[in-house]
Amino acid sequence: MTAHEPPRRQVIRAAPRRPSERSLSPVTDDLYQPDAYGRELLTSLMRAQAGVSLAVLVPAITLLALYPLLAVLLPGLASYEVLGLPLTLVILGGGIYPPLVLLGYWYVRRAERLEQRFVELLKEQ
Amino acid sequence: MTEPATIAAIAAVTVVTAVISARGVRIARTPADFMVAARQVPSFLNASAISGEYLSAASFLGIAGLAMLEGLGALWYAVGYAAGYLVLLVAVAAPLRRFGAYTIPDFAEGRLESHVLRRAATIIVLVICGFYLLPQLKGAGLTLQVAFGGPEWIGVVVLGVIVTFGIASGGMKGITFVQAFQYWLKITALAIPAIFLVMFLHHPPIGSIGSAAPHSFDQRTTIEFPASEELTVDGNIRINAVGRIDGTLRDGPLTLTEGTHEITSGATLTFPAGARAPQVQNSPSLTEKEWTSPLLHLGGEPIHPLAATYGILLATVLGAMGLPHILVRFYTNRDGQAARRTTAFVLLLLGCFYIFPAVFAVLGRLEAPGLYVSGQTDSVVLVLPKLVSAGVIGTALGALVAAGAFAAFLSTSSGLFISMAGAISHDIMDKGVRTFRASAMVIGVVMTTLGVFVAGISINVLVGWAFAIAASTFCPLLLLGIWWRRLTWIGALGGLVLGGGASSLAVILTMAGVGKTGWPAVLLGEPAIWTVPLSFLTMVSLSLATPGALPNDVVAKLLALHLPERVRPPSPRRAELGPLVPPITPTRVPTPQVAGSPGRWSDPDI
Repeated sequence: MTAHEPPRRQVIRAAPRRPSERSLSPVTDDLYQPDAYGRELLTSLMRAQAGVSLAVLVPAITLLALYPLLAVLLPGLASYEVLGLPLTLVILGGGIYPPLVLLGYWYVRRAERLEQRFVELLKEQ
Repeated sequence: MTEPATIAAIAAVTVVTAVISARGVRIARTPADFMVAARQVPSFLNASAISGEYLSAASFLGIAGLAMLEGLGALWYAVGYAAGYLVLLVAVAAPLRRFGAYTIPDFAEGRLESHVLRRAATIIVLVICGFYLLPQLKGAGLTLQVAFGGPEWIGVVVLGVIVTFGIASGGMKGITFVQAFQYWLKITALAIPAIFLVMFLHHPPIGSIGSAAPHSFDQRTTIEFPASEELTVDGNIRINAVGRIDGTLRDGPLTLTEGTHEITSGATLTFPAGARAPQVQNSPSLTEKEWTSPLLHLGGEPIHPLAATYGILLATVLGAMGLPHILVRFYTNRDGQAARRTTAFVLLLLGCFYIFPAVFAVLGRLEAPGLYVSGQTDSVVLVLPKLVSAGVIGTALGALVAAGAFAAFLSTSSGLFISMAGAISHDIMDKGVRTFRASAMVIGVVMTTLGVFVAGISINVLVGWAFAIAASTFCPLLLLGIWWRRLTWIGALGGLVLGGGASSLAVILTMAGVGKTGWPAVLLGEPAIWTVPLSFLTMVSLSLATPGALPNDVVAKLLALHLPERVRPPSPRRAELGPLVPPITPTRVPTPQVAGSPGRWSDPDI
């Protein structure tokens, strides 16, 4: 199975298949053809998925990288207190996690919806 | 300081783990059972199990200790350990599950068709697991030392022996249920003492975090010195000393004169209330501003703090995806979408857990300045419950924390041992149960011996290095392998060798004491900041230079990685193993196991 294309499975039926009855698998078989169409489908799927990933990663990286940078640029920042606690403790000791968890949750929803649309797109053809 | 409650708690954790594991092995022993069971593991349970295996000595003891010693900036370790799962979620979880490779060497060979690359990946698995195992052993040493006294190596040997024999006899496998139980045990063991300490103790106001400590002792304080230290006193202090001070054996009152004194290990000093705490040689003493700074202080010194902070963020965020013992857990997910949900839950569970080390760091700074003097800040989580309440409650909380800590070492080090023994017996030697057992014994002896020698290094720093090596090797391999179709095996190999070699060398040089100031300290102590880009650049440039080495069915491999399960073509293997096996499975199918044998190392069972 490693280096070969998966063998096509032929389902034997009483009557020959008509185009209107095309099931999912012949459509996905198109994806495996080394022609331009299969490649384009794959590229569009990967692009869309990478887009969702980046939409999460960019804010996450900004969130992580920003506070140390600000602390260097504005040396007074770390002396701020929130409800009697040092700002660093509030952020690093818990405050930074809720946005990260929310980003993760949002990604799961976006990615699942995207895959749903991709499946529907394949079915329509 | 022998405490029956602590012994009982640690023994209970060990026995319960061993019993549940041994039973679980009997329940699931064939690949088919494993697959069927995998279908039934809900995402939340699976996420608990991943978190249980992930939260090691570093998370349980190390972060609180390092943050107490070097300032709140050390909490970036915790943030990075958790945020790593966000990167894993968006870039790796679903594709890797869909590809169906069980380990990173499997992925490397399946995606890039090279046996040489597989070998290289196997060696890196051993290096990462080895570096990750040392701090677990050190943590066990520390826990037993705090509970029972005596030298640190005893605990190292005890954990080494338990885990080695557990795995060699096939009785300790990473069962999902056990690991999930361990997560909840660990978070309970930290949360209950933390909440109790914050609510019921009359600690100094949090606002005085930096100024109150560690300059003077509020009350009469007795400090034990498990390791030899040099103390600097800035005025004569009348103390009570037992043990060898400045080379002379003492037992009774003594005046420490102004200057430096040598305290030999095993000594006990009692300081009167109001005495100024002595300074410890080689140990930082931070002002309030430094301590609350959100930047990492390498060894407590502000050496290029921004670069050091970004270095540790890069290592932890990108290293999490390259931990061999964690990745294998993702195959108990039903499909790619389940893998995503599981990872998102892991992020939530870790975020909840990492609040507590911060609480302990703050309380430690306020309540236990003696730990700065004895150089034992890594043990703050274990010591604190007893320091602040002497009665039954203190003992019970202490036992709970010790049990949680032991659960942390036990779960993580079994996972690491299994990964290492599996890598040796499966990829380097001939396969088989006997080789697996022999490998487990050899690794046990080697790692336990090494574990005795790392006593002087902070747990968290050691774990940070394991992450740095993972981030410089497996992270680029996974990210480029999944998202870039032009990666070739030659490029990947070059990146693994250069990135892995450079980061390992930097870590070994730092351990040997090279580069303590300026840029060398940052670049060798936090190597990820340059070895991760180095590895990425090598992989990309070498791959572009060797287009002839591309595997000939890249499109099919990328489809195997990215195509949702619902639109996959039927695969011939489905008939054998049920509908869960992805259509393109790289190299190996799990081999059927003999009843009661360790079998394939990576099956996470139920």
